[in-house]
Amino acid sequence: MPTNSDVAIEVDHVYKTFNVFYDKTNTIKEKLLFWNRSKKEVREILNDINLEIKKGEVVGLIGVNGSGKSTLLKLMTKIIYPNKGKIETYGKLTSLLELGAGFHPDFSGRENIYFNASIFGLTRKEIDKRLDQIIEFSELEGFIDNPVRTYSSGMYMRLAFSVAINVDAEILLVDEILSVGDQHFQEKCFQKIEQLKEEGKTIVIVTHSMDSILRFCTRAVWLHQGRLKMDGDVKKITDAYIKETA
Amino acid sequence: MENVFKNIYNYRELLKTNIKKEIRGKYKHSFLGVLWSFLNPLLQILVYAIIFPIILKNDIDNYVIFLCVGLIPWTFFTTIVTQSTGVIIANANIVKKVYFPREILPISVVTSAAVNFVISTIIILAFVLIYGMGITWHIVFYPIILLIQYLFSIGVSFLVSSLTVYLRDLEHLIGVAIMMLFYATPIVYSMQTLPENYKAIMALNPMAHIIEGYRSIFYYQATPDFKWLGIILIVSIVLCVIGYMVFKKLEKRFAEEL
Ligand SMILES: Nc1ncnc2c1ncn2[C@@H]1O[C@H](COP(=O)(O)OP(=O)(O)O)[C@@H](O)[C@H]1O
Ligand SMILES: [Mg+2]
Repeated sequence: MPTNSDVAIEVDHVYKTFNVFYDKTNTIKEKLLFWNRSKKEVREILNDINLEIKKGEVVGLIGVNGSGKSTLLKLMTKIIYPNKGKIETYGKLTSLLELGAGFHPDFSGRENIYFNASIFGLTRKEIDKRLDQIIEFSELEGFIDNPVRTYSSGMYMRLAFSVAINVDAEILLVDEILSVGDQHFQEKCFQKIEQLKEEGKTIVIVTHSMDSILRFCTRAVWLHQGRLKMDGDVKKITDAYIKETA
Repeated sequence: MENVFKNIYNYRELLKTNIKKEIRGKYKHSFLGVLWSFLNPLLQILVYAIIFPIILKNDIDNYVIFLCVGLIPWTFFTTIVTQSTGVIIANANIVKKVYFPREILPISVVTSAAVNFVISTIIILAFVLIYGMGITWHIVFYPIILLIQYLFSIGVSFLVSSLTVYLRDLEHLIGVAIMMLFYATPIVYSMQTLPENYKAIMALNPMAHIIEGYRSIFYYQATPDFKWLGIILIVSIVLCVIGYMVFKKLEKRFAEEL
């Protein structure tokens, strides 16, 4: 239970390592034959991460490729679990980590809305109520009954984003996928995020666009080689980041 | 404990969609699908009904009924075990990318198999009627035995579905085990004809008691042995709890192992 009811996400001394196997043994036969001999490298991805994200904060997560941003978001959604430490989230959470995660290519856009929203924990009634709104936001009215394998990656992203953003979550995690859409749709997404921010939702967003971070984040977090390098003021951190990566 | 059920309840739409998808998959192409799902067990019954009386030299009355009352619940069980070995891997694309209670997957497998089993029970009823044995009031025990088998299957499915993610060739071992278990369960023969010491060993096999239970209802038309069924119910509940704990422990690394 939250000790402090205004906390949305609590990351407490989190460590995450990935095992990189050179010959992965996932069978009994190999486990017996190569017992203790399988070559593996333990790679540290996140190292002692501490974060307390308050309700209503919009956090921009920045860092170069491979710094562990996506891994941190996956830990927050509970797709993966830390090796050490604890992560707690308080409130309904939706994440948009990968393009069309959980879409079924042979289902139509409409069927995928139902399937995807049910993965986010919505009931049929709740989805029925939001269906028009989701389709309208995606601007895919003309294609909604076509199988999604016929969609372009931009259309995929529009559908995925429209579902995720309309499930009424209190916490929204977005990885760097917004860049896929065209200018017009990106702008629309940003407006929607702006609106969610005003409604007091908690948002964590990964993006390489410092402009977007400056525009609507209330806090920036900089990850560098799996460690928290800076955390706090948006202007200060984006300046430092631009300076270092330039 | 309360949370376990609440979490599943919150995701009931996903559970429903999954179950529907699996049932619809089986009966798709409407007429042919339905026909096939009946034809398959019927042909199996036919083959066994011809072969086993010859090899076993048994003198069981109405052997076809005897057989189908054992074979249909057995198929229910083996379908679950086989589908459970692949269910997490088959859903890798969502397991790796979205959070949802993973136990939805094995529960869908068992529930859709249970629906198919209830539909297949029509075959048993048809045989009982055709052979003029009729249906007696003992059929009221059917839901109880079904519930016991359902719980037992859930426990098995939790274990099998999570373990195969880590041990991919478990699937083959399980295939062999099922084949052997077929002969260690009174499906094609009667438990009564076994020597006493074999009977004692057979008593350790939960599926033996479950099948004997169905057989009491439809074939012997008598009250099932509730002493044994009670024991199997307790065993099944314990298996469910253990299976759930193992599943919950192993699911933490599903996304990384897939
Ligand atoms: N499943 C995995 N197995 C091994 N290494 C991984 C796995 N997933 C990510 N990594 C490694 O973890 C590091 C961080 O990755 P990621 O979190 O995706 O970074 P970012 O999103 O900041 O670009 C990278 O070095 C990547 O190679
Ligand atoms: Mg990334």
